[in-house]
Parts: sequence; C-alpha cells; structure tokens
Amino acid sequence: MPVMPRIQTKCFGDVEYSPDAIFEFPNGMPGFETEHDFLFLERPAAHPLMFMQSLSSPEVCFILLPVLAADPKYKLRLAEEDLAALRLPAGRQPRIGKDVLCAALVCAGGEERPDPTANLLAPILINLKRQIGIQAIQTQSEYSYRHPLISRGRQEELVAC
Amino acid sequence: MRRRAGESFLIGAAIEIEVLEVCGTRVKLGIVAPDSVLIQRKETQITRDENITAARSVRQQNISLLLNKVAFRPVDTPVKNLTDATILTTKCT
Repeated sequence: MPVMPRIQTKCFGDVEYSPDAIFEFPNGMPGFETEHDFLFLERPAAHPLMFMQSLSSPEVCFILLPVLAADPKYKLRLAEEDLAALRLPAGRQPRIGKDVLCAALVCAGGEERPDPTANLLAPILINLKRQIGIQAIQTQSEYSYRHPLISRGRQEELVAC
Repeated sequence: MRRRAGESFLIGAAIEIEVLEVCGTRVKLGIVAPDSVLIQRKETQITRDENITAARSVRQQNISLLLNKVAFRPVDTPVKNLTDATILTTKCT
C-alpha cells in the first residue's frame, strides 16, 4: 500500500486522503479566491451533509447539503459561462447527480445567524467526470441564498423533512 | 436618467459608465474607473458575505445542533453514487 498524504482538517482532525480525491476550483469561490483544491469528506452520522475541506487551509471548511435534500424538485439555471467553467456542453442544463454534484453551502447556525440556512441560489457544482468545481451564482433563479432549513415559528415542523 | 446604447454617464469625476449594447432584457455596460475601485456584480458581493458566514459557522457544536434540529430528507442515488466511489471522496471515520 502506498503511503497516503494526510491533512489537518477543521472538523475531523488529521485525515488521510487520496490525491485522486482532490477537486479543483480554478477560480476559487467569492471570499475564498485563493482556495483552489478541496476534499469532500463525509461521516455516516452526518448524512446527507458533506464537508468541503480546503487542502491548503485547515481552517477553511464548508458544510454542504445536496440541493435535492433541501428541495427534491430543485432545478438548475446555469449561465453559459458556468457551463463552460465546468467544461460541460453548452445549451443544456446538466443532470443533478448524473453529470454534476449540486450542493448548497450551509450556514450551520451560531451567533451570527442562529437559524440554519442553505444557499440554494449559489450552489457548489462539481463536474463528476473532470473533478472540477465552481460556485454558480444563478441570476435567473428564484431560489434564496438563505433558504431556511427550519421553518420559522414552527420549529417542530421541519422544512427539509 | 434614460440612456441609449452609445451614451454614457459619470459617477463623480473618475467613473464613467457607458451603455454599449441593449439586447432584449440584457444591457452590456462599459465601465471606466480607477484601479482602486472594485467593480463586481452585486450577487458576487452577497455570495462572498454568505460564504464567509457559512465558513465561520462550521463548528462542532453548530454541526451537532444542525443534525439534531433538522431531519434531513434522505437522498438516494445522487449522493450515494458520489460517496460510494472511493475515488471521489475520502471517508472519515
């Protein structure tokens, strides 16, 4: 067995990874323009959440929720430049789960924003074949960048359930 | 203010915005501004703020609360395909 490289992660300590599992974000993401390489980590207890850990900065990690877990009828409206950045064919929207992974960044709560939200307007998209990722800001979409994961005032009724 | 393609307007003395082209519902703008002025789409700024807030929220206690509070809808094929392929994800145990 070859010796696998290891990284320090924000949430899970020291983790071994395969270099084949690195996803490239050529443009980074708004606010994180210099982060180009990410690993996607998951833990069975946290399903269906995933963790997007920067390879170069241990403190940079995002929580992802597959958009279909937030909204089973979620529809993509990617701009042509986003399709090009993902190296996908122009003129048609990719199929979620088949051509692309599409997941929303989750704000997990805390002091800044107590109620957890998911950014359905600007999801993370991954070309599964090429392992290239972008954050697509959809200007022609009606989704919220603060989609509540718990409906307000009726805490017992769960939106995402 | 109403402008046609080819016309421009000024913001202060140093920033000029020209309407280059109007095509249906889309308008192409040309902007002349000093290097010190950041020009970006508004949604990029919103996304940046959201991303920074999201990154800051990634703390063990918030994750536990999130998992306790929200009964996430199980996702079948799309996620499973991704996570089953060991090449695509590193499992953390």
